[in-house]
Amino acid sequence: MIGVGKIKQYTNVLEKPISKGKQEVSLSAFAFLFSELVQYNQTHVDNISELERRLEDAGYAVGARVLELLCHREKGNRRETRLLGILSFVHSTVWKVLFGKVADSLEKGTEHEDEYMISEKELLVNRFISIPKDMGTFNCGAFVAGIVRGVLDGAGFPAVVTAHFVPMEGQQRPRTTILIKFAEEVLQREARLG
Amino acid sequence: MIVCVAVVGHQNNPLYIQSFTEADDDLKLHHIVHCSLDVVDERVNNPKRSGSTLNETFLGLLYPTENYKVYGYLTNTKVKFMLVTTDLDVRDADVRNFFRRFHSAYVDAVSNPFHVPGKKITSRTFAERVSNIVKSFRLNPSG
Repeated sequence: MIGVGKIKQYTNVLEKPISKGKQEVSLSAFAFLFSELVQYNQTHVDNISELERRLEDAGYAVGARVLELLCHREKGNRRETRLLGILSFVHSTVWKVLFGKVADSLEKGTEHEDEYMISEKELLVNRFISIPKDMGTFNCGAFVAGIVRGVLDGAGFPAVVTAHFVPMEGQQRPRTTILIKFAEEVLQREARLG
Repeated sequence: MIVCVAVVGHQNNPLYIQSFTEADDDLKLHHIVHCSLDVVDERVNNPKRSGSTLNETFLGLLYPTENYKVYGYLTNTKVKFMLVTTDLDVRDADVRNFFRRFHSAYVDAVSNPFHVPGKKITSRTFAERVSNIVKSFRLNPSG
């Protein structure tokens, strides 16, 4: 028989193969867990920058593990040695696995050679969070910044990663930008590789 | 026959060494693994060929001594897996298959939130999975 696909009919429902299930976690479960994480850390610190550092450290641990997992599972075990390669890996694969979609945009900074930005209209982790006015520029996206730092550090591209709110005209809520500033040695190595 | 498997971190610190022979020559096997690390560094830092081989994870036969062969595998985070075997003719595909399953077990061990990256892997599940993989490799003699 040429080209005809045969669909196997299962007469008995017990003979159907068990589906692998959705590879997703419910957003509300994660939102509860994340809000609890933020609240717990808030009661244990005295100032905002310490809180941000703790969230980032939590994200760093996630990032290191995500890198190992994704390289084994998705990328077919190829190692990234170029800057653009690892950035596009973070921007598409990591975002897709963690948040279900690719990041909105990846840009190169204009003022400095070593700065790159990943922007998102609204980070998934910030969806149910509104920052009180007296907390200033604190952004719970520090958790995501920690994840990105964990991935880059594990892959051999040390960087300083921070999350910022960028107000946009015409939109009520500001966009979030993850700013990645690579260490000097990364740029030197990149220049050497040509 | 596989005599030893080892996981070495990115600063060449040992994370997991397990030998599978009855004889008590752990130290000799550690020494062999340590010497092979030099070969790994050489392969990684001096790319004789550019392009796709720069990104390969499976490094192949590293260090043939008189009765041992050492195979290497490099993951994305510069963590190295070493396999010391006494078989004279192992197929390339078998070793790749072994490393693929080993990598899978390693990823699961590292995903443990109680595992501190950089410290030794102390998970019993990991040790059991590794010995299962080694046993199934042994039962399929190649060549």
